[in-house]
Amino acid sequence: MRMATSTPPVPATPANKPGRVLLRPLPGSLPGPMSRPMSRDKSDTLLLIVACTLVLAPHAAHVPLWITASCVLMLAWRGWITFRGNRMPPRWILLPIALLSAPGVYGTYQTFFGRDAGVAMLVLLLTCKLLEMRARRDLFVVVCLSFFLMLTNLFYSQTIGTALLMLAATVAILTTQLSFQYTGAVPPLKKRLQLCLTIVGLALPLMLVLFFLFPRIQGPLWGLPGDAQSGRTGMSETMAPGNIAKLALSEEIAFRAKFSDSIPDRDALYWRGVVLGNYDGRTWTRMQQNSGTRTSITIVPHAPPVHYQVTMEPSGQRWLYALELPQALPQLSDNTSSLTPDLQIIATQPINDRVRYDVASVVKFTLQPDEGQLALQDWLDLPPGFNPQTHAYAAKLRNTTDDNASLVRTVLTLFRTEPFRYTLEPPPLGKHAVDEFLFLTRAGFCEHYASAFVVLMRALDIPARVVTGYQGGQLNPVDDYMTVRQSDAHAWAEVWLKGRGWIRIDPTAAVAPERIERNLVPSTSRQGFGGLIPIDLGRQSWITALRQRGDAVANGWNQWVLNYTPQRQKNLLQSLGFEQVDWSTLTLLMIGLGSAVMLAIAVPLLWKRRDLDPLEHLYRKLCDALAARGMPRASHEGPRSYGARLTAPGSPIVPAKQQAVAEFLQLYEAARYARGDAAAPNAAQRELMQRLKALFTKIR
Amino acid sequence: MQPRQLVDKWLFRLGAAEPGEVVLNQRRVFILPSKAGLGFAALLAVMFISSINYNLSLGFALTFLIAACAVIDMHLTFRNLAYLHLSPGRVQPVFAGEDARFELHLANRRTHDRYAIWIGFIGDGTAVDRRRAAADHALRALRPLAGLNAQAIDIGAMSSCSTTLSSTTVRRGWLAAPRIRLTTRFPLGLLHAWSYWHPELSVLVYPQPETDAPPLPLAGEAKTDGIGRSGNDDFAGIRAYRPGDSIKHLAWRQIARVEFEAGGQLVTKQFEGGAASDLMLDYDQLPHNLTIEARLSRLTRWVLEAEERGLAYGFRLGAVALEPSLGPAQQQACLRALALYERP
Repeated sequence: MRMATSTPPVPATPANKPGRVLLRPLPGSLPGPMSRPMSRDKSDTLLLIVACTLVLAPHAAHVPLWITASCVLMLAWRGWITFRGNRMPPRWILLPIALLSAPGVYGTYQTFFGRDAGVAMLVLLLTCKLLEMRARRDLFVVVCLSFFLMLTNLFYSQTIGTALLMLAATVAILTTQLSFQYTGAVPPLKKRLQLCLTIVGLALPLMLVLFFLFPRIQGPLWGLPGDAQSGRTGMSETMAPGNIAKLALSEEIAFRAKFSDSIPDRDALYWRGVVLGNYDGRTWTRMQQNSGTRTSITIVPHAPPVHYQVTMEPSGQRWLYALELPQALPQLSDNTSSLTPDLQIIATQPINDRVRYDVASVVKFTLQPDEGQLALQDWLDLPPGFNPQTHAYAAKLRNTTDDNASLVRTVLTLFRTEPFRYTLEPPPLGKHAVDEFLFLTRAGFCEHYASAFVVLMRALDIPARVVTGYQGGQLNPVDDYMTVRQSDAHAWAEVWLKGRGWIRIDPTAAVAPERIERNLVPSTSRQGFGGLIPIDLGRQSWITALRQRGDAVANGWNQWVLNYTPQRQKNLLQSLGFEQVDWSTLTLLMIGLGSAVMLAIAVPLLWKRRDLDPLEHLYRKLCDALAARGMPRASHEGPRSYGARLTAPGSPIVPAKQQAVAEFLQLYEAARYARGDAAAPNAAQRELMQRLKALFTKIR
Repeated sequence: MQPRQLVDKWLFRLGAAEPGEVVLNQRRVFILPSKAGLGFAALLAVMFISSINYNLSLGFALTFLIAACAVIDMHLTFRNLAYLHLSPGRVQPVFAGEDARFELHLANRRTHDRYAIWIGFIGDGTAVDRRRAAADHALRALRPLAGLNAQAIDIGAMSSCSTTLSSTTVRRGWLAAPRIRLTTRFPLGLLHAWSYWHPELSVLVYPQPETDAPPLPLAGEAKTDGIGRSGNDDFAGIRAYRPGDSIKHLAWRQIARVEFEAGGQLVTKQFEGGAASDLMLDYDQLPHNLTIEARLSRLTRWVLEAEERGLAYGFRLGAVALEPSLGPAQQQACLRALALYERP
């Protein structure tokens, strides 16, 4: 009964109704030529399981563990069933599993709707469907589900690796679909894979045409579920020194910048982000900008502006980053941006997709030299009842001088000379955080220094604020893009000095200048394990080169694949010389180029005739030549009878040619039909062909 | 002319049977999305809209890639059927009620393999069915394989294969092969390509032998002089072995010859007392109350029986009159006359 209980998917047989054909026929219910050896069905089903695993694997990164575990279990179960040729589980076993998964998903996500819950449901659905495949139609459902699941995985990851895995999964799914289409003998897997690779290979040029020329529409078409943009990292809107800095350890890319001409000095690469002005003793938050304090912004440039283009990764937040100080607002399509008085660039909509904008910044400037007292008052607030030691110290300092600039210098000297230490693993701080940091622990990273510095300044009655953003960046010599990673996140301070306006002070630089001036390799993550890994990877130039090359590829991927927006599409075509680019131009271009590509693919595919061997080819040519003289070869005539007719008295061929014809046909007949023809050495064959060609020219 | 007939004539070019080899050129191969293909198109639409909505650039790439794969699949499905060389083969005469088996040759003169081509008659070949099939085949094209007595074949590159299609027979006379449809969905099953071929191929259908026919009108009986009886005197033919027959009377030669067809049965020589030399199967001698078909049916049975028993027989039917003889030639001449009696 092994036959009966196995699960071989068989193609539709004429005896059965098409569409709903049982995958498990009874023995003998198949006509002879249709029944196939077991091993083939096994291999087809195993191939399907492999394809589904390729589709499901990347989802393990974001679905909850229990879903991953149950999928692995069910796939293993399905594989075991196939391998052993066991009976498929009956519905009364599958139904509870399927029914249990719904409350499971609800329990995890608190909803059935929304992106993540939907993807989780689909993942479970595909796995269950594999256990419930009974008909050919079910296979097609699995194929369609697989393709859709591949698409949903792109919500979470669109890297080159994902794309490659996607390509592999596509080939696997198509190979499976192909394998189930055979009705008789099935070629080995290698040959089926080859055919599928041919299909995908031929599809690629067409895909490229569609990808670049299909008129793009800017989404979304309707509201996205609330969780559609979750999981994106960005700079925090608040800062609480003492909390562990997650961003500082992340190697994720925040944005890339390409400078049109010269790149500013490293110590000028401060990418301004969020300005924090409110301090409650523990946490820095943004200052509420009320319209009453709105003043005009005065920037006095001291150097020509630097022009560059920023390609920003989606952050889920509204901040746009630019070098200090931006001169004009970046222009985003479908998203307007505005500048706050404290020079933060805020977009109207959160940055949920990669955006690109052009900015010009002046790196040497004077900002707000004539700020009003009223506006400055906001930047002096300190919560009462915190940090008494700091206040006392400030009062002591204040007594020494009235010159604010020299006070700033004094404090910076304090940071530099006292045993302050830069570390990513600072000890936790208590209620009077600044007191403890300044006089007790003296260990921390940029947030601690910036926070302590600003508190001290305010205690000294100097307007000050914390600015967060990114510092530095890594220039990739391969494509000249500067990459700024989350690990480049930084916090510094700004103080307002009379006559000089707001000036940037980076207290961290006083403690750990290498943090600011370090070279190419951002080694934040290695600093954390600095004691464990003694090798300085930065010195390994080939590793650096490899990494830079990888970055350049990733950036090209971003520019050309992931960020290929309607705007980019328009720019591309305009750079190719199309002036008016609208959807009709694109459609025409797409159809035109697509047809050309299709023609190039289809012509060799369809009109590739049999390659005649040279002997046969020459014979056909001779027949054609003779037919042109009124002596066509009848279809039943072999060379001998044709020759007899040609050389018979009354033939329109002149006698001299008749002789050549006779010889030609004799040689042809001998070569074609004589025994041992195949074994004839190459030299002899060449000689024969030469002789025949000579005869042919004589006849013609 | 009804629209469907117009479609048949102008689009599908259905006409008279074609003699000789036929090449399925591109004008003869039709292609439409299969049901799975329509489902696939719906999937592509959903994926496309999702890609727009979520701005999934790679989603566009995936959607376009599998859409392009479907387009390539279209060409390959077309190629799987196009430029196939078809020629009719032999066909053996059959008795009415039996299945006529039409041999067909398919040659692949291209350098690519062809797989999973379904070939079958439209309808099951009966006259009624053929009329109906001719009427609604255009619709049937959209419901592939439905009611199609089809079989799947593979043809390797530069090779050929033969297949046999069966069609039930009802009436005696010449039966033309019904129209054939070739369909394929290979390689991905998203498209359905089909083609029609009406080979000029006919089978001669002999009348159905009567099942409970009276015994052969042996001369003894015909003359009815009362002398004839079964006995040992004269060899009268053979009959199936019955328990008790003398081993001496076993017809060894016939056993050796017919064993295979007779299912391994023993046969016994039969001897009759009367003269058995002039067995004459005469249409006019049959009772006149029988219909023409019944009489032809009985004669058919007798011809077979006489051949089986090895009795020489004469034959008379309308204008055909054959001297007593025995053997395949005689049998075929008789059966052919019976099949075509009063038929063109």
